[in-house]
Parts: sequence; C-alpha cells; structure tokens
Amino acid sequence: MELCGQAGWRGAKRSESSGVTSIVQPSAETSSGHEHYRLRIEGFGVGTWDLDLATRELEWSGAARGLFGVAHGPSITYEAFLALLELKDRARTEHAIQKAIDGGGGFDISFKVSGPAGRGQWIRARAGLIKDESGVARHISGIFLDIGEEKQLEEALKTRESHLRSILDTVPDAMIVIDGYGIIQLFSTAAERLFGYAEQEAVGRNVSELMPEPDRTRHDSYIARYRSTGERHIIGIGRIVTGKRRDGTTFPMHLSIGEMQSNGKVHFTGFVRDLTEHQQTQARLQELQSELVHVSRLSAMGEMASALAHELNQPLAAISNYMKGSRKLLAGSTDPNAPKIENAMDRAAEQALRAGQIIRRLRDFVSRGESEKRVESLSKLVEEAGALGLAGAREQNVQLRFSLDPEADLVLADRVQIQQVLVNLFRNALEAMAHSPRRELTATNFRVADDMIEIVVSDTGSGFHDDVKPNLFQTFFTTKETGMGVGLSISRSIIEAHGGRMWAEDNASGGATFRFTLPAATSES
Amino acid sequence: MPSKGNVYVIDDDQAMRDSLSFLLEAAGFDVTLFESALKFLDALPELAFGCVVSDVRMPDLDGIELLKKMKTRPGAFPIIIMTGHGDIPLAVEAMKLGAIDFLEKPFEDDRLITMIEMAIRQAEPAAKSEALTQDIVARIATLSPRERQVMDGLIAGLSNKLIARDYDISPRTIEVYRANVMTKMQANSLSELVRLAMRAGMLDD
Repeated sequence: MELCGQAGWRGAKRSESSGVTSIVQPSAETSSGHEHYRLRIEGFGVGTWDLDLATRELEWSGAARGLFGVAHGPSITYEAFLALLELKDRARTEHAIQKAIDGGGGFDISFKVSGPAGRGQWIRARAGLIKDESGVARHISGIFLDIGEEKQLEEALKTRESHLRSILDTVPDAMIVIDGYGIIQLFSTAAERLFGYAEQEAVGRNVSELMPEPDRTRHDSYIARYRSTGERHIIGIGRIVTGKRRDGTTFPMHLSIGEMQSNGKVHFTGFVRDLTEHQQTQARLQELQSELVHVSRLSAMGEMASALAHELNQPLAAISNYMKGSRKLLAGSTDPNAPKIENAMDRAAEQALRAGQIIRRLRDFVSRGESEKRVESLSKLVEEAGALGLAGAREQNVQLRFSLDPEADLVLADRVQIQQVLVNLFRNALEAMAHSPRRELTATNFRVADDMIEIVVSDTGSGFHDDVKPNLFQTFFTTKETGMGVGLSISRSIIEAHGGRMWAEDNASGGATFRFTLPAATSES
Repeated sequence: MPSKGNVYVIDDDQAMRDSLSFLLEAAGFDVTLFESALKFLDALPELAFGCVVSDVRMPDLDGIELLKKMKTRPGAFPIIIMTGHGDIPLAVEAMKLGAIDFLEKPFEDDRLITMIEMAIRQAEPAAKSEALTQDIVARIATLSPRERQVMDGLIAGLSNKLIARDYDISPRTIEVYRANVMTKMQANSLSELVRLAMRAGMLDD
C-alpha cells in the first residue's frame, strides 16, 4: 500500500508539478484524472497535504484530517499543525521540513499525534519540495500515512527482543550465533564474560577465533563439510570441547549447536557451558575417592596383617619351641652329626623368629601412624560420604533422610577413615534394600554423653538373620557373594581406634541399624 | 635330672601348649598344661608354687583378666604373658597388673627360660636383677634429651606422627630419633622397649 502511494505520488509529481498543486487545492476540485487518483488514494487512508511556504498555511485533505483526529477546516497554520504533534516529536519534524526547504529534495519522517488522552496516532509523513519556474521553493507537498500497525509490530518486536535479551543475559550458558560462514552474528553477555570479548568486537569475527588449534584452522572446513554432506558431528548432539579466551587461556566447555534457516540463510546457534568448575568438582571427588580407596586398602592390609600376625605367630612359636626343645635334648647326644644337627635346628628356629619379625613389622607399618585426627564437622562428613557412597541412590528410588543435630556436630576424628566407615555403611544399606518395597536410608546423630556423640545409620532392608549377628564384625565374614568380609571389621577397628564403639541392631521397620560413637570435640578446649 | 621347678602353661592353642611343654621339659621344668584360664583357676588351690606362662587372647577369660584375678589371691604366682598380637597399651597394662614379662610370639627360648628361672628363684636373683636394672638405667642415661622424649612417647603407645606433633618436629626426624633409641636401648621391638622401661622404673603409675 505504501509502495503504491509513494509511486503514485512520485509519478504525479514528476509528470506535472503544477498539477500537484491542483490536487491539494480543494478550491480547484474538478473531475480531472488527478482528482480521481487523489480520491482513490484517500480511500486507502492516505492523507494528502500541501504547505504553502509563502503563507505558511497548510492545506490538507479530509483523510489527512481524519488521521490527525481533528475537525479543523481544510487549512491550518503551520504552527497550529506543529502544535498537534507530540511535544518530543515537534522539533524533529520541524527540523526535517526546514532541511527539505533549505536543501531541496524530500523527507520522510514518522511522528506521533498528541491525541486526546494520549491516544495519539503514529503517522508517517513523506513529502517533496516544489519550486516554481524560476527555481524558488513554493510548496511542500506530500502524504500522511497511518503507520499505527507497523509501529505496534515494531513495539512488539522490540519487546520480544528485549525479553530475549534479558533471558540471554541471565542464563549462565553463553550463546553465540554464527552465519553459514562462521562469522559471529550475536554474542550474549554470558559469552562476553566467558570469552573476554565485548559483543561489538566479537560480532563480525570468525567464531574459530574462540578455539585453540587445531580446531581454529579447521573450523571453516567443518562447516563446509556439514553444509555439503549434511553429516552431523556436533549439531543436535553436543560434546565437550576446548574454548579459548581472549587472553589465550583455554577451558573445557560443553557445546551444543542448533541450526536455523532465516531469510533463506543458514545460521548456527551455539550454547556454551563452562565446565571448569564442574571438572574441578569431578577431580575433587575422584581425589577423595582414591584417598578412600587407598586408606581402605591400607586398612584391609592392616586388618589382614593383624589377623595373619595372630594366626601365624602361634604356629611359628610352636615351631621355634619344638626346635629349641629338640636342640636341648640333643645336647647330651654322642652322635657325630650332633653339632651339625644342633646348628641346623638353631637356624630353623631363627628363621621362625625372623618370620614373626616380618609379620610384626608389616603390621606396625600398616596399622600405625596413619591416623590423623582433627576437629571435623559430622554433617560435612556425612554429606561427603553420601556423595561418594550414595551415587545412584535416587535412581534406585531410595529416600535419603539426613537429620543431623548441629548441637552434636563436631567430633575428633580422622576424616578419611570415618568417611570410609560411613561409605561402607551406606553401600551396605543400599545393597540390603535392593529388593525391598520400601527404601529409606536415614542418618542421625545425637550426644550420648558430654564427650561422646552417637551416629545412627538405618535402612529398611531385610535386617539380620539370627546366625549372622554374632559374626557381623569378624574379619573375612561375609553374607555377600562377592564380599571380602573386611568392611565392617575394618569399620569397627577404625571406630575403636578413635575411642568409640560400634554395634548393630534390628530396627522397627525390619531393617538394620548401625550405631557408632565418636569422641566429641568440645569447642571450649 | 632334678626338676628346676613347676611351670603352668595356659594357652587355648593346642600346638602352643604341646610345643611349650616339649621345650620347657627339655629345659628341666615340670610342666602342667591348661587350655583355659578358668581351668587353671579351678586347679589353683591344689597347685604347688610355680611360674605361670599364659597367652593373653583367650575365650572366656583372657590373660589380662587372669592377672587381675591373681592379684587378689594370696600367695601370688609369678606370671609371664605371651601374645601373638602385641601392642604397646596391652603390654603396659599387663606389666602394671604385675606380669613379670610380656613376650611376643614367636620368642627366643633363652628369654623365656631365663625369665622362668628367675621367677621361680624369686628372692635369690635380687643382686643379678639389680645389676640388670643398673645396666638399663645406664643405657637410658646415654639418650639425648630429644631421644628421651621420643622414648617416652613410644612407651606411652604414641605413633611417630603424634610424637612429632607433640614436639613440633617432622615425623621423619622422629624416625631417626626412634632408631637411635632402639639401638641405644638394645631393644628389638617396642614391647621390649616397654619392658626395659618398666625395669628401669619409668612406667610406675
């Protein structure tokens, strides 16, 4: 519509400048072709107007008046016309018209009418300067168009864009849009933070600048390959890649890419999540886990060495006793080989003693000196042990309830060892509840004496068989097919080494409850 | 050969009882075997004076409990405690309860036989015992102040790390001091160190 009006107007202006004047002069209303034309465009809601530069009178058509929503007559003073505009638009409009008068040519400006109660209409004015034969500017003639709808669309677009902006500004993931050649079109605030480029400097660059080698030089060919083969390597899949910041440092990131077509052009949208912290957490967890594995191996060795020491030292002592007894009996013998036999027996007894020494050293090595007790927060210990021992518990529909009393929180303990005990109890509980209809794991604590704190871990598994309970804490005793039977035995050793006690009992829900005590770390000490 | 005296062996391990009886009889003692401390206590009123050699870890009544019970009875028998699983606090407790020695299995026969002989002769070895005590005190005197501190820590059952923390020196340095202590004291094991300290009166309550 606008195009039609514009073309029509220009056509008219070019064909006959005096005719234009006649169009906008109602006094000269005739049944000419121009008048038909004018009426037709008026019918489309296009108002026509003419400003006489000599009289500063502005003549306007009925449609034009309708657009302004006023009942003024067919002409109005230029000042009165300006007064109809919104205050903030007046100077701008006046300036545009003045510029057209001074410099010749036309203008195209949009303004708002200061209608009653702000119901102002958005109007676009287009006009050109008309000169007489001697080249003196006489008139400015043009049209008024209702652009309310366009303005509304524009406003809606602006609103949507600002919504989108605010979303992009707040999501922690960075967003980058590139065109089909890898040139950055959009760079979100999070992307600015992540990569260290401001949006203005990033837009227009090749996105490959955000990558280290070899991706940096290959990225263009990645896009080209995708566009020619349609083979997806990352689009819609997402993967972990390395990003490069402005300062050259690199970081792990998760990248997912979407593809979109707009105006027949392909664009790619990348969402980037910084994994630095995630990987640090992972590393920390792994560290903790390997620490636990190490201690558990050490404790298992200590446990084994203790058991071995006891079991082996008995027969070794017996061997040594028999040897030395025989040696004494042989002392009175006259057998010519007696000295040699005596010597051999001494050596055999020595070897038995040496074996005892080796076991003793081994036991001392693994069981001593590794316990580093500190003031520790029970809630922290339980939480960390939960992170390690209860991975996958929620997937198994196990309800976890840790209700820890902050009044009984501080204990004197070796963090790693107590976590080992907790992880062990948690894992046992998960296994015990694998086939239970109800799966609930609780951990609580309370003060049993001024200097002792009790920790209770309960499950809703199947509890203990009567024949199991007496052997529960014995080394190498197990009810599991793949168990070593050292877990609970080590746990009890650890607790006892801390000066606490550990025991087990059935609970009301038919499951097992393990209790242990630890020395409280009094804050005043 | 005339008997050198009575020895009462208490151990729940059959091979230990049998081998001890073989060794001690070969050494000239009259040996009676008990498979539990309770059986020994039952028979005790009928027994002539002798030296008791008992294991510490036994079902029903362990060696420590036996020491406590024997302490309350008149005409106490000397008791030597054996263990397959020695640790310092246990050794200290046994010695404080009146055990005359604490042996870790397997042990050297000479040590056991010498101790039994001494125990049976009771009053007589005072001079010899005094000489031995003097010798130990002399060994302690050769320790540097730092070494003496480390020895105190060790016989209190502390680990290297704990001693290190107490004196604010590195555990590695403690290891060095510890090695010096063991060498100077001529102790082969921690429980032996405890026994020596006991002899020298370092462990009185």
